[in-house]
Amino acid sequence: MSATDLARPAAGPPAAAGPAAYRQFPTAWRFALRNQARNRLAGLLLVAFVPVWYLLMLVIAGHRPLSFRLYATGRVLTVDAGHLTLISAGLNSLTIIVGFAVFAAIRKTLAFDQRLVFAGYRHATLIAAKTLAIAMVAAVVALYTAAVLLAFWRPGPAEWAAILAGFAVMALTYGALGLLLGVLVRGDLEGFFLIIMGGLMDTFLQNPLGNPLANKPVLAWFPSFGPMQFAVGGSFGHAYLWGHLALGLAWAAAFAAGGLVIFRIRTRGLTRRREPRDR
Amino acid sequence: MTAAAGAVLAARDVHKAYGRRRVLTGASLTARPGQLVAVVGENGAGKSTLLKILAGTLAADRGEVRVSGRLGYCPQDPVLTENLTVDQHLRYFAAAYRLPSLKRAGELAGMLGFGQYRQQAAAALSGGTRQKLNLILALLHDPDLLLLDEPYQGFDWETYLRFWDVVDDLRARGKTIVIITHLVFEAARFDVLADLADGTITCRTPSGEAPGVSN
Repeated sequence: MSATDLARPAAGPPAAAGPAAYRQFPTAWRFALRNQARNRLAGLLLVAFVPVWYLLMLVIAGHRPLSFRLYATGRVLTVDAGHLTLISAGLNSLTIIVGFAVFAAIRKTLAFDQRLVFAGYRHATLIAAKTLAIAMVAAVVALYTAAVLLAFWRPGPAEWAAILAGFAVMALTYGALGLLLGVLVRGDLEGFFLIIMGGLMDTFLQNPLGNPLANKPVLAWFPSFGPMQFAVGGSFGHAYLWGHLALGLAWAAAFAAGGLVIFRIRTRGLTRRREPRDR
Repeated sequence: MTAAAGAVLAARDVHKAYGRRRVLTGASLTARPGQLVAVVGENGAGKSTLLKILAGTLAADRGEVRVSGRLGYCPQDPVLTENLTVDQHLRYFAAAYRLPSLKRAGELAGMLGFGQYRQQAAAALSGGTRQKLNLILALLHDPDLLLLDEPYQGFDWETYLRFWDVVDDLRARGKTIVIITHLVFEAARFDVLADLADGTITCRTPSGEAPGVSN
């Protein structure tokens, strides 16, 4: 007889008649959001690191003109190197903050989520609530990061909106990567290393100031390529490259799908079928 | 399987190995409504492995486990979320169990002397209080079968006695309770002692007799 012959009920179903006092989706969404918001280190990084990082990168880059060919359009743009670096720095800080916050929150609650599923929480509900919470956190952090950028550079409203959109997609991508790593890697250190080094390499290589070969085709395969192209194209070239923004979203969707599939596998019980007891 | 007729829990010929180390080599256990069963054995005998398999959180390599009715499982180490308060944990699990209210949580908190901690975050709780919350989360939906892995670790004497009051109340209402324990002096409390040694279970009553229907 194999282990798949195991027959057991889940911890549910309802213990008593009557409507449930707490609906599963809003409860899970609210607590997932609360758990994300209570990451003090991520909050500190957000408040202190973002402006300091902008300032530092701006001082290093200076305000000299920089000419480069935007890969997506083929046009040569001459821009303020400091402004371009601000976009790159914003994207970079998002990779670290959002990636770290989501990774830490997912990792810490994985066993608890497994217990919730065992107790009768619907997988799809828990997954949807966590996904929505991650998306909201990513959007708020992106908005904050784009707002702080205004202290160093005042682009026009349309140009700023392009930067915000690029930031939002970048935050979603690394939030999804944090989710994937949170359910995949065994230790905290591996996860933090992968997020920090991955984010640094990804965003640094997209900046023509730091990497003179920033228009090489291979860079199109990096997660920050789409958001960077969209933000730079929109803020400097008046070109709104929606396809590139969608490419960034595709990365986010791929990371999220991978993470959620593994989350489902790792939190599932061994429930096969119920044997309700006569009561 | 005649012995399992009417049983709440019937595990038969359960095998489990971690690599080359064979932990369970044909363990069988049956428990009926209202029975209190102790799983005893030396450290590393496989008691927690057995309970996880019975609970469905760990896959057996081979064997059969049948459970009827609602199941509650209290793991050895409290599985909590540090940022959430006690009340938030209770609401989260009330949603999981689809409970109409937190009435049962209030009753259990009262019985275990736990009420004053409901607004505290799990991270701020002492070891014993965390264990109380861990236990209440397993009891919240008033399960028919309760699997407890050393549930009173960290309890003070008063709480330990209150725990047995809770168990007595559950038994009186026909609930079945399987507990992993190391405390030899409390053997007389149980209906069945299931000795786990060399991967198999031998059942006896506290007086040393072989129980008719428990193995």
